[in-house]
Amino acid sequence: MTKLMTLDVLSSIKGAKSSDAVDELFKVIKNAHFDKNEKVFSKSTIINAVLLENLRDDEIIQSSQTEKELIKKNFPNEKNGFLVVSKVIDN
Amino acid sequence: MSSEIIRIHNKLKSKEISCTEFVKGKLKELEESTSNSANFLLTESALKRAQAVDEKIANGAEIGLLEGIPFGIKDVFLLQGEFASAASDFLKSYISPYTATAIQKLIDAGAIPIVKENCDSFGHGSSSENTVFGPVKNALNEKLVAGGSSGGSAVNVAKGYTLFSVGGDTGGSIRQPAGYNKVYGMKPTYGRISRYGLMAYASSTDCVGPISNSVEDISTLLNVMSGKDYHDQTSLVSSPISENIFKRKNEAPKYKIGYYKNFLDSEAIDPKIKADFLKLIDQLKLNNIEVIELDFYDSGILVSTYYTIAMAETASNLARLDGTNYGNRLTAESLKESYSLTRSENFTDETKRRIIGGNQVLSQGHSEEIYLKARAIREKIEQSFIDEFQEVDIIISPVSPTPPPKIGDNLNDPLAMYLSDAYTVGFSLGGLPTLSAPFGTETGIQITAEKMGEEKILEFVIYLRDEIYG
Repeated sequence: MTKLMTLDVLSSIKGAKSSDAVDELFKVIKNAHFDKNEKVFSKSTIINAVLLENLRDDEIIQSSQTEKELIKKNFPNEKNGFLVVSKVIDN
Repeated sequence: MSSEIIRIHNKLKSKEISCTEFVKGKLKELEESTSNSANFLLTESALKRAQAVDEKIANGAEIGLLEGIPFGIKDVFLLQGEFASAASDFLKSYISPYTATAIQKLIDAGAIPIVKENCDSFGHGSSSENTVFGPVKNALNEKLVAGGSSGGSAVNVAKGYTLFSVGGDTGGSIRQPAGYNKVYGMKPTYGRISRYGLMAYASSTDCVGPISNSVEDISTLLNVMSGKDYHDQTSLVSSPISENIFKRKNEAPKYKIGYYKNFLDSEAIDPKIKADFLKLIDQLKLNNIEVIELDFYDSGILVSTYYTIAMAETASNLARLDGTNYGNRLTAESLKESYSLTRSENFTDETKRRIIGGNQVLSQGHSEEIYLKARAIREKIEQSFIDEFQEVDIIISPVSPTPPPKIGDNLNDPLAMYLSDAYTVGFSLGGLPTLSAPFGTETGIQITAEKMGEEKILEFVIYLRDEIYG
């Protein structure tokens, strides 16, 4: 079953609507002549990404004490020494 | 202009000036400035670092080239314990938990960060008007925009408030403001400088780079900031720029130069910019340099491809900003309402336009005909660059099709703003190194080489500076 999501839900922005300026840009891409079957690149041309075989393993790195304190300091709300999460659980 | 860094280094070494007084002077200039180029002054930490440099000199110790040199940081980089607002209401009170790799390398070399610089919010803009700190004013004419998104950084260098600044360039955000304010700005090869600690806009084209008043300083700064970084897996190993390029007989006249004819045939180009650029082409030919015309993609395709990809990536990157773990939080009846209210109230209109556009192209039904098609076109563009650099060593172009607009003129015309990036976005999609130099046309000349071709670019710009415009 397909569930359609509107732009405001997808973006979590109230009243989100597409803009004419941005639609103009997308129209250019839609109308561009492009042969989908044309093979255009090899592995050697992609360098703005990491190839899977070059990815390092995930590692856990402990943050410094200063970093941990600053992360807590940035938390939006604090009450009686606890960080206050928004109404996550009841949803 | 030769190296400002060396000039101040020599003055510090010979005790002609004290580091503390020098840094104090720069902080005062920033404080009194009406350019809107500074978001946060780093007074306390800067003076502490400056005092340490003075003590070292007083004790007769040697100082490194960058020790005591004050610099600016675009306000999208993290510097531990200091604000990192991205020029947004969302992160206006956010304090950096750690320091970006490129900034840390400069600090390790002794340079002193003195200011977090104004810019377009999250890098979303080409004029530095999309900021909650007020529009940045051009260094040469306060009625004009500074360019963007690293507008505050370019203005601070042009005004002499900082000896250099560190900007971020996704589609032209270092090169265009550098051009608008007549300073040098370099976007290195994608991956040459780590992105760790730079707030992500479009991760596949985001680059860190220096803005300064001299080619010599660009070279020094590139060498300090470059290198493979554990924290950024897309970062690359690179060879340092050789100092010999400033000493040896210049190789530049042997280079074969290309330029895109269709950039000049565009109806959008300002006649004076076009005439000045063609004058440069003629001058190069007169100097027996081989110059050839190249065909390239239409500017409309370049801009549309870039913005489609950049919007899709920024929609994903900024999804984390919902007020849960950091940033300003607004509460509502339900969790989803809280997210929605927080994001609606804290993002600027331009940032919302890009997030919405990104979600539009990533959504079912649109991804195939827009986003995936744009990615395929990008791959073709990358391949074109590879082919073209088999034929030429350097590609030159104007930095922008038009001069800087007046503040406010493009705010209600986002399409005009997007199109002003026509000459810079293509090279970003290709991940190529490219530098804007402050001569040739009203907004400068853009010099591009193949990946990791920074040394060639700098050699050629020295030639232009000394032999053509000297």
